[in-house]
Amino acid sequence: MLALVLALALGVTLGLLTNVSVPAAWLTYLGVAVLAAIDACLGGIKASLEQTFDDKVFVSGFLTNTLMAAFIVFVGDRIGVRELYLAAVVAFGLRVFENLGTVRRLLFSRWGWE
Amino acid sequence: MGGAPDRAGRGTLVHLKDESLRRLHASEKAVERSFHEARLTASLAVGLLLVGFLLVAQMRGTATFSQSLERQSDQNLAIIIQQTAAENNALRNEVVRLQVRLLEAGQATEDRTQLLNEAARELNSVSVVAGLEAAAGPGVTVVLSDPERVLLPQDFVRIVHELRAGGAEALAVNGVRVSATSGFSGGDGRIVLEGSEFSRRFEVDALGEPGNLAQALELPGGLKSTLATFPGVEVEIVKKDQLRVPAAKRIGFVHGTPVEDGQ
Repeated sequence: MLALVLALALGVTLGLLTNVSVPAAWLTYLGVAVLAAIDACLGGIKASLEQTFDDKVFVSGFLTNTLMAAFIVFVGDRIGVRELYLAAVVAFGLRVFENLGTVRRLLFSRWGWE
Repeated sequence: MGGAPDRAGRGTLVHLKDESLRRLHASEKAVERSFHEARLTASLAVGLLLVGFLLVAQMRGTATFSQSLERQSDQNLAIIIQQTAAENNALRNEVVRLQVRLLEAGQATEDRTQLLNEAARELNSVSVVAGLEAAAGPGVTVVLSDPERVLLPQDFVRIVHELRAGGAEALAVNGVRVSATSGFSGGDGRIVLEGSEFSRRFEVDALGEPGNLAQALELPGGLKSTLATFPGVEVEIVKKDQLRVPAAKRIGFVHGTPVEDGQ
């Protein structure tokens, strides 16, 4: 668990150090992709707590979700339904909270707080 | 050896074998589990690292974008336009003000240039009159021959005086400039001017209006006729369109000090 927190901190530090800034045109795409990535990570943590974690599933899910999220926004832009990105946001947002709740409960049971 | 203890021994052996097999199996499982755990942590860690990095990049991009004009509300845009217009006006006024100043400065420079030019011209003429610079122009050459060596320094003083009265601006005797501080001396047919000694033949160059200069000497009862009465002295006045008079030696101003007007 500590390694995961450290990895997140390292990513933030890297981002701050390399001074990357996303071009305005990519903002929506990357925003939804980030949401998908967060969801994938929470899902992975949940699976590892449930002892059902499979790294192949995690990696493929991570990549597919982020790419698909960005792609949905792209398609929405192209076909004139700019609000299509809302679908991705809602879907991933719901899943993030769902996963978060499960992880919380699993952690509680693991630490014996129930 | 009895059968029973034998059997018992074998039973212990089997038990031990099972036990070790079980332990081996367990440790294998443990290794497998820890390996699995490591892969799990690694992939999750990479994912989280990516998430952190992307989050920061996204936040920074959003921060930049929200400051850009297309994200401003209409009200804000109106305010921005107003401010920009006011700034524009102020800058335009500044431009006009600076242009006026530039013009004034140009005028001042022109005035100063004119003043400097006048001063330079004045300095030039003063230099010519003072003998500080060589000068050229129309004038006359007075050729005096004195084979008997009867001319005296005061005769030259008179010649110079008469020529100056006739409007001579610059004078030279045998190529030596007569300046404000020059004096003639000598005697016994030798004339000394500015340390140079001449005798027998003299050429006095005078810059000025040739007619006036010649007239100053040729007046009836004037200097020319007076000099001509000396034994052996011949005087010839040659008018010239172009004459050159050299510069004098530098004047050393030692004992006096210039005094300003009213002091």
